[in-house]
Amino acid sequence: MTRGGAGRTAVQCVLLLNAFLVLAPMAIMGVSAFKSTREIFQHPFALPGVWRWENFARVWVEARFALYFRNSVLVTIASVVIVVILGAMAGYALGRFRFRGNDLVYLYFLSGLMLPIRLGIIPLFILMRTLHLLDTLWALILTYAASGLPSAVFILTGFFRTLPADLDSAARIDGAGEWLIFRRIMVPLVRPALVIVAVYNLIPIWNDFFFPLVFIQTDRWKTLPLGMTTFFGQYSADWGALFAGLTLAAVPVVTLYALLSQQFIRGLTAGAVKG
Amino acid sequence: MRPRVLVGILVCVLVATLSPTRARGQQPVKLTFWSWRVEDKWAYDKIIQAFQQRNPGIQVEFVPFKATEYNTILSSALTAGNGPDIIHLRAYGGLETFAAPGYIAQLDFERLPELRTFSRQLLDGARARKDGKLYGVPFATQSLVIYYNKKIFAQNNLSAPKNWDEFLTVLRTLKDHGVLPLANGGKEGWTLEVMSGVVAPNFYGGTAFFDAVTRGQTSFKDPAYTNALARMLDLRPYMHPNFMGVDYTTMQQQFINEQAAMFIGGSWEIGFFKSQNKDLDFDIFAAPPLRAGTAPWVSSYNDGNYGVNAKTPNMDAALKFIQFTASREFGQMFTDMLAQLSAVPGVEVRDPVLKHVQELSRKSTPYMMLVGFRWQAPTGSTLLQSALQGMMAGTKTPEQVGDEVTKGLSAWFEPFQGR
Amino acid sequence: MRTSRRWWLVFFLGPAIVLFAAFITYPILSALAFSLYAWEGIGRRGFVGLANFARLFATFPYAGLLVNAFWHNVLVFIATMLLQNVTALGLAVLLARGPWGARGYRVIFFLPVMLSLVIVGFLWALFLNPVFGLVNKVLTLLHAGALARPWLGDASTALLTLIVVNAWRWLGFPTIVFLAGINAVPEEYVEAARIDGAGEWAVLRRIIFPLLAPAVTIIVLLTFIGAFNWFELPYIMQGVSGAPNRATDVLSLLFYRTAFGEVDTGLQDIGIGSAIAVLMFALLLGMSAVGAVLLRRREVELA
Repeated sequence: MTRGGAGRTAVQCVLLLNAFLVLAPMAIMGVSAFKSTREIFQHPFALPGVWRWENFARVWVEARFALYFRNSVLVTIASVVIVVILGAMAGYALGRFRFRGNDLVYLYFLSGLMLPIRLGIIPLFILMRTLHLLDTLWALILTYAASGLPSAVFILTGFFRTLPADLDSAARIDGAGEWLIFRRIMVPLVRPALVIVAVYNLIPIWNDFFFPLVFIQTDRWKTLPLGMTTFFGQYSADWGALFAGLTLAAVPVVTLYALLSQQFIRGLTAGAVKG
Repeated sequence: MRPRVLVGILVCVLVATLSPTRARGQQPVKLTFWSWRVEDKWAYDKIIQAFQQRNPGIQVEFVPFKATEYNTILSSALTAGNGPDIIHLRAYGGLETFAAPGYIAQLDFERLPELRTFSRQLLDGARARKDGKLYGVPFATQSLVIYYNKKIFAQNNLSAPKNWDEFLTVLRTLKDHGVLPLANGGKEGWTLEVMSGVVAPNFYGGTAFFDAVTRGQTSFKDPAYTNALARMLDLRPYMHPNFMGVDYTTMQQQFINEQAAMFIGGSWEIGFFKSQNKDLDFDIFAAPPLRAGTAPWVSSYNDGNYGVNAKTPNMDAALKFIQFTASREFGQMFTDMLAQLSAVPGVEVRDPVLKHVQELSRKSTPYMMLVGFRWQAPTGSTLLQSALQGMMAGTKTPEQVGDEVTKGLSAWFEPFQGR
Repeated sequence: MRTSRRWWLVFFLGPAIVLFAAFITYPILSALAFSLYAWEGIGRRGFVGLANFARLFATFPYAGLLVNAFWHNVLVFIATMLLQNVTALGLAVLLARGPWGARGYRVIFFLPVMLSLVIVGFLWALFLNPVFGLVNKVLTLLHAGALARPWLGDASTALLTLIVVNAWRWLGFPTIVFLAGINAVPEEYVEAARIDGAGEWAVLRRIIFPLLAPAVTIIVLLTFIGAFNWFELPYIMQGVSGAPNRATDVLSLLFYRTAFGEVDTGLQDIGIGSAIAVLMFALLLGMSAVGAVLLRRREVELA
């Protein structure tokens, strides 16, 4: 590839500018979290005169962020675990078992990739009400788990199909039980795919706002995104606290991303990028 | 093996923490109390403490929501069969939508003898049209006024204006001296509706017009009404240059931090302003009429009611609390702390600004859309708020506003059909 | 042996099918049915055929609101395509040249995609506050104070501002997808074209862009779905009624409001709400089907 130094500099300028546009707002958010409201209004770009850690303490305790975090963690982990387990089981059956209707079941799951479940929110709301699950975290977990299945089945069935055919038949001849074959031989082989499925579901579930908005009414069961709206209503004039709340909410995801950025990039674009 | 154990533990923990704990018995009864009064949480917390001392077996938690989202959240909670035990309800049509489907427990004089002493006008705001029954304890009367910063007025040798021209002169003087005259904004439509509630009645003729339009003898296309709305445009040059992006919180902050000289709003602000800036020296005046000498109209209304969820498992405790909100003791605390006019009769008003509000509201007129046109969707308020945003942004004329509101209301208000 | 295998099949497949059927298939199918009934609150009354649709299309204010919201969704789609995805393509082309720090840029660009739209919305709402916010202050500092305006309060800029904020959050996603697409182009093709004397632009236009077609199709499809499901950002930044004066109202907001309670009254209309859902449904399904067919065809050609 031939290109001059000028071209290279121009490329760097564009990329740097974009990096700046991405990072600057987040940096300002983080720094403002330590300021008083007056400082934010008067010196928006300056570093804080005194670093006010108490902004965070106030948000964590008074604004119940600890509670919202707990709920979000519970919901996300439970949903992802269910998606991965059920997805692996279904993917295994569809990828390794020959039976009539295999294609049909596969397509049935795939149809979920195209149908936005949000539009079924009214019947879902009434269903959850009948099951007495409204205003519990179970309403969220079941919805997320179910809506995560299509992508999980899609990704995992594909992986199971690529595994050599004699792998399980050999084990079967050796007299190994079906569960043992699945658990001991097949699952370890598709572990990378399980990670992709987990990541693919993790972030959207953690960030979801729509379903909690409809299903959860009590403060006690609010997840972080929904709790944030309550918090913003109550502290609307206290910008120091608002920025502290935003920062606090962003920190776990950003930290996780800093540690595992490649996995997240690969996982989140899994539906759009092949291979 | 390990992952499976982990998953097992996790599932146990989940099941344990997710299943709602329904331990009762010796435990005190816990009531939740939902409201849209975020700013008043501190006062309600104190009032609730007083109640709890008197009633050791009952605990009440006050949970406020952002005002603009409150109805939607409450509505989905009640249809879900959940919702709080005690509900801060709006009045008039805002009460009807929740009372009519049976979500709210019916009240009467037998159960709450205290209500007998309440004024009839206020109780009307707590009645459902459907059956004429009471569904709440009215909590406050609000009036719409103009706040002004006395210090800024004194610095500029100004005093509260007596007529519309004087008002415009005051605004111009402040602007010329580099002071932002009006804190008001347009990002949240309801703040514009409040502004119309302050400005318009003097020009459309107050209660006479309200009666005529609610009886269907005229409509909002009436020039009396559209010309009154047009007066709001006089104020535009004296608001922040980007006022259409100014939300309610920013409005309040500008007045509290003395960055703006005036604030057009409701009497519920007094307590909040004082609590946020102890040094803020302010008073109020009513929207000036065209000619000095005529007493100005002041829009007033029953702000809302405390109701009980019909499905609450703690009916007795909830009724006890409601009964408390109808007591003189509650009314006095409410008025003293929040500087709002309690609905409880006989409460003594000590705050000088509030006293001023009380005097002005002797010549009161119903706050148009809230009292008269919130019975069905689309409500007069929804229609007016959106249309006023268009008008203040300069994309709609007052006549178009009048047309739109009339046309929208004709969906359910029969007298407007065909107009 | 055969029966035991059948039981294993049920064991492996059953739970997933039950969960999926109960919480996805059933609600979605019922949503279609719900639009054909009359409703009182959440109580279902008689069958009314297409009456809900007739009300939605023909009565004030629903008809106006529907058209207004629909055009906003269309606008969001078009503007996002032009603004976000074209920029993303440009960035991907630059990153594919392997400049210094390409890996680091990739990581940085993708970072906002991780953030919740609730965080992004609130953060930018604070920045865009016309009195205390950063954006207008920056403009003033840059001696462009004349450009300062009530970004979110002015009906002519509000929607576009939301689209830009949305693009700020999403930009990294199409960038990575395009980058992966470009990297997948076989090196020999590019080399061969170079040897034929093709310049930088010609290589892009004749070799890379045509081979990028599947990635483009996917991004167009995802952008379309995203645009027509747009909810969080307008809800957080402008409220549930699409302020100012419905300038940021979109179908999802209209749907949510109608189904779960209007702002000032809490009134619900499940019939109309379901009718809106069915319309959105048809729209998304139609588009997805077209996209899927296009993708299939391209795959066949490439194979």
